[in-house]
Amino acid sequence: MIKKFLHQIMFIEIVQGLYLTMKHLIIKRPITFQYPHEKRELPDGYRGILVQLRYDDGSEKCVGCSLCEAACPSRCIKVISDEVNGNPLQRYAKEYIFDLSKCVFCAFCVAACPVDALAMSKFYEYSTYNKRDLILNKEKMLQMGDKAFPIRQKRFDITKKHLNIFNLGKKNFPPVHQ
Amino acid sequence: MAETFLNIGVILLQIVIVLGVVLGHVAYLTLAERKVLSFMQDRLGPMEVGPHGLLQPIADGLKLFFKEDIVPAGANKFIFSIAPIISLVPALIGFAVIPFNEAATGPGGIIHPRITDINIGILYILAFSSVGAYGILLGGWASNSKYALLGGLRSAAQVISYELTMGLSIIGVVLLSQSLSMVDITMAQKDHWNILFQPVAFVLYIISALAETNRIPFDLPEAESELVAGWFTEYSGMRFAFYFLAEYANMIIVSSVGAILFLGGWHAPFHFMETNAPFYMISPFIWFILKVYFILFFFIWLRGTVPRLRYDQLMKLGWKIMLPVAFVNLIVTAIVIYWLK
Repeated sequence: MIKKFLHQIMFIEIVQGLYLTMKHLIIKRPITFQYPHEKRELPDGYRGILVQLRYDDGSEKCVGCSLCEAACPSRCIKVISDEVNGNPLQRYAKEYIFDLSKCVFCAFCVAACPVDALAMSKFYEYSTYNKRDLILNKEKMLQMGDKAFPIRQKRFDITKKHLNIFNLGKKNFPPVHQ
Repeated sequence: MAETFLNIGVILLQIVIVLGVVLGHVAYLTLAERKVLSFMQDRLGPMEVGPHGLLQPIADGLKLFFKEDIVPAGANKFIFSIAPIISLVPALIGFAVIPFNEAATGPGGIIHPRITDINIGILYILAFSSVGAYGILLGGWASNSKYALLGGLRSAAQVISYELTMGLSIIGVVLLSQSLSMVDITMAQKDHWNILFQPVAFVLYIISALAETNRIPFDLPEAESELVAGWFTEYSGMRFAFYFLAEYANMIIVSSVGAILFLGGWHAPFHFMETNAPFYMISPFIWFILKVYFILFFFIWLRGTVPRLRYDQLMKLGWKIMLPVAFVNLIVTAIVIYWLK
């Protein structure tokens, strides 16, 4: 009782608080970032804008299988696939439309892709004056993919070779069930 | 005739200099407050305008100057327009009696570093600080907004409760120095600051000064979380800027009065410092302004530390604790002085 009264008279609690704020004023450094000028380090596995990748020879990885479209929970991907000219067994995405304003950044499309053609970049500044800028086509996504992932995967020559032989010789092969 | 004009010119020049210095301080006090608060909260504060945000007050002023001036529908236009001025003028007019420096002998006779020295200086400041409350009250009433009205009401109640304590704590100092003039009060503290004899009155003065200037923890009139912005919710543009200037000018005047009454005005901490090297080099003006800065910093420091009081707590503290303590302090001071004299 007397102790409490003495504490109140001497503003003990307020003095303790003043000590704490003074400690922060003098000793502690600011923990904030001056955002537009300095940006913080993003963690690995950060999920920014979805981008498309290329092989090291510059050809696009995407084979137009539409599995990303099927996996997308918010239906923001639209793939129109087509045959490669002169090679009827190889397909590619003629058009690939990705609506960033609908995207929920779940990365299911990245998991679904059989050829690792999609990846989540670390770009996170989507602000724009025109909402249509948020609807990306294949060219834009590839461009951003080049910027985000400069090191490209090597195209498997061995696979291509074997695939080619397989494709070329397919009609001459004897039937499998004999 | 020529001498009269010269005198008027000198007085006008003094007023211009004092007002310029005070308004500059007001502008940079806002920046200092933001900076100190943000460092206490581990932030950096304004950094964009100028190096480390040093030009931020100018940018703020320009922005407020070009803002649209809105008068809400149903507001009493005349009172709405005049209330910020009623608030600002008393806040600035108080600086007329603040002595900034020792009287010095210059080329044209004795130079008095103050605008005037009236023999009831402290009473004059108390009177004008009460008039300032009218600006808040009328602004809150004329806005035709429930938040502004509540803010004005609270301000009125708060000012009435705490002005008593403030006056009583000052009377102790007046008893010690036997004068109401600010210069005489400062002169009387040549050897010992009044805070040595009146520590309780100093604490009471600081608390009631916080309440008078609507600072945290007594910022109930503008409690952001309850009343949007209190009495100036409906104000914008230059009128808002006037209220802001008045608030910070009041802070500076309250700190100056505290420094003069309790911390010895322009006097150095110890008497030998005024005559011996190396402290002799320090101008009395520097001592004065350091004390003012310290009290201002203390106000900002408290703002970064304590939360706001509840309304009933404010009233209880004012009437049940501070007023009796102030009375006891006054009676004890009076008896002691009667004995000694």
